[in-house]
Amino acid sequence: MKIEVLFSEVCNLYGDLANVRYLKACCPQLTIVETDLHTKPRFLSEDIGLVFMGSTTEQGLALATEALMPWREEIAAKIDAGQRFLAVGNAVDMLTEGIRSDSGLAITGLGLVPGQAEYRMMQRHNSFFLGTFEDMEIVGFKSLFGHIHGAGEAAEWFHAVRGVGRDGATAAEGFRRGGLMATSLIGPLLILNPPLTKWLLREMGLDDTLAFEDAAMDSYRKRVAEFHEESRGWKY
Amino acid sequence: MGKARFLLALWAAKLSIPALKITRHNGTDFPGALALKLCPDFLRYVPRPPKMIAVTGTNGKTTVANMLEDILERRGHRLLTNRAGSNISSGVSTAFIYGSNLLGRTKCDMAVLEIDERSAPRIYPYVKPDYIVVTNLFRDSIMRNAHPGYIADILTANFPRESKLILNADDLISATVAPENDRVYFAIGPMEGDVQECENLLNDMRICPRCAGKLRYDYRRYHHIGHAVCESCGFASPAADYFAHDVDVAGGTMALTEAGQEHEYRLISDGVHNIYNMVTVIATLRELGLTHEEIREGFDHTAILSTRLSRETVGGVDIIMQMSKDKNALACSRNFDAIRHTAGDKELLVMMNCMGVAKNWSENPSWMYDTDFEFLNRDDVVQLVCAGPRARDYKLRLLLAGIPEEKITVEEDEFRAAERLQRKPGHQIYILYGVDGMPLAFRVKAHLKNLLEKGGGAA
Repeated sequence: MKIEVLFSEVCNLYGDLANVRYLKACCPQLTIVETDLHTKPRFLSEDIGLVFMGSTTEQGLALATEALMPWREEIAAKIDAGQRFLAVGNAVDMLTEGIRSDSGLAITGLGLVPGQAEYRMMQRHNSFFLGTFEDMEIVGFKSLFGHIHGAGEAAEWFHAVRGVGRDGATAAEGFRRGGLMATSLIGPLLILNPPLTKWLLREMGLDDTLAFEDAAMDSYRKRVAEFHEESRGWKY
Repeated sequence: MGKARFLLALWAAKLSIPALKITRHNGTDFPGALALKLCPDFLRYVPRPPKMIAVTGTNGKTTVANMLEDILERRGHRLLTNRAGSNISSGVSTAFIYGSNLLGRTKCDMAVLEIDERSAPRIYPYVKPDYIVVTNLFRDSIMRNAHPGYIADILTANFPRESKLILNADDLISATVAPENDRVYFAIGPMEGDVQECENLLNDMRICPRCAGKLRYDYRRYHHIGHAVCESCGFASPAADYFAHDVDVAGGTMALTEAGQEHEYRLISDGVHNIYNMVTVIATLRELGLTHEEIREGFDHTAILSTRLSRETVGGVDIIMQMSKDKNALACSRNFDAIRHTAGDKELLVMMNCMGVAKNWSENPSWMYDTDFEFLNRDDVVQLVCAGPRARDYKLRLLLAGIPEEKITVEEDEFRAAERLQRKPGHQIYILYGVDGMPLAFRVKAHLKNLLEKGGGAA
């Protein structure tokens, strides 16, 4: 089975790519393929178990959105048909209707999910996130220039217990649409959340034994306990 | 009204200085912070020395500013500097307060100011340096600095148009800031140990800034530092006006070519980052009109302070205190690179925890996954003891770096962690600590010394 990493030349911030390295450590038989900005995404014409796209710069947002735009309809059809596609950090913003910033940045998004990302470039949002998904507790971090507004009742991925959801105020975090799993949480999401990684591996039809499972669970349990402590503020 | 307000703020700030001395609070930014509170555009009115140099960039700005100050002061300049304070607007304001008399006139003939990149919007609208030196731009704090392109955009938006830029041609991120400004470049030609393919997880200049084509590196020093060429459009790293080459680290010499003329220099450090700092200083001083002979003479009386690394031998064990800036993948990766290139068996006490957030928030470990912990996966790194609030995260990261589990110990308490070190004679023990963990790290070192003086390894 293949994992396709989209645009690693620009979508490579905040340790996001470690999620893919961790999946490979869990399942050495996985093949990682990288697709650059000048190449049609492979998952549109090949059997790909998971597509991954991580956080990027403002220039990267423009380049990656431009690279995907010609395939917008095909991508929508694929994810609706169940193609697993994991987008983290501001990669999610590319999937919305657009991105606007107070610095003048204006990017038309792919419109795969509703809402628009609005950035304030000198007011970075930093917070931790404690939420739920199915019977799991999810932990993570946000370090963003802004949130996604106007997404209404669109299906969430996680539900915030502490911290903020996709619009910076309410509990709905991220999006689900068909096989799309999208969250604004940054960094090594799968490493920080071994139960979620097990779920994902099962979704992919793979054995859900994790690499370094004891160490990962040990770290996860400590973080979950910390995030429950009311003495800790979720906002940095 | 503005000028009257400024003078009131200046006098109030001046009055605070003796009070701070009496209460032994010298070296703080209080005078500048007070002045900015009383007069938010205080920097608009401060009297300026006739010549001003700003030094900014992710790494090396303190070292470069200090070397410039040392050399220029020796040449008799009356300098205005923020060496004793911070590099944000309150620290810069404090420097101008010290450099002014009560009538609001400058006492100095030149300013050398280290300026934090994120503070650019609060400083450059008012303070317009003749020269701005940008050492380099790398990833720094995820929470504050996001990514180097973001910082480059801030600098481009805020550098005064009239400032001449002194830029690092080997760093395509900082080399392309403020394209409208007049500029000169410095660079270091191929060196022993250079590579072509990136060995680091952080590699922030993979595509051409002009056409987004793939960049090929003729030589790469580390991360995105090196000489790049676009395979699609031919764009390349700029040619250097001040080009260091034939760097002989063992012999302690290098050559520097300017306008076709070659000049010999004696290295004042064997670290590549400090050779860059030295070339940066040469370029700046040449722009200020010093001759190469005068610059060489200046370096003869200049030392680079080594505050981030110290070494002491106790009971046959070398204890190395290595500040590894927490939450900073670049800083830690550079340190790990130095460790892998140091001969001998090493025991590592990994405690780069951010203590400031340990109780009230929770450190975001994302930076660990941009950091080259893989460099520590070596036979001569014989033990890694993970300590502090993020000890478990470190263990997981080390395992993912391929380090055998039997080499890794988790002990949250930093003092007990020191006791778990093997402490074998002949080994080097690195204590890797973060910025705000320094006091704790030195207490742990004292405990470790005590253990070593008593003799015997870990139980």
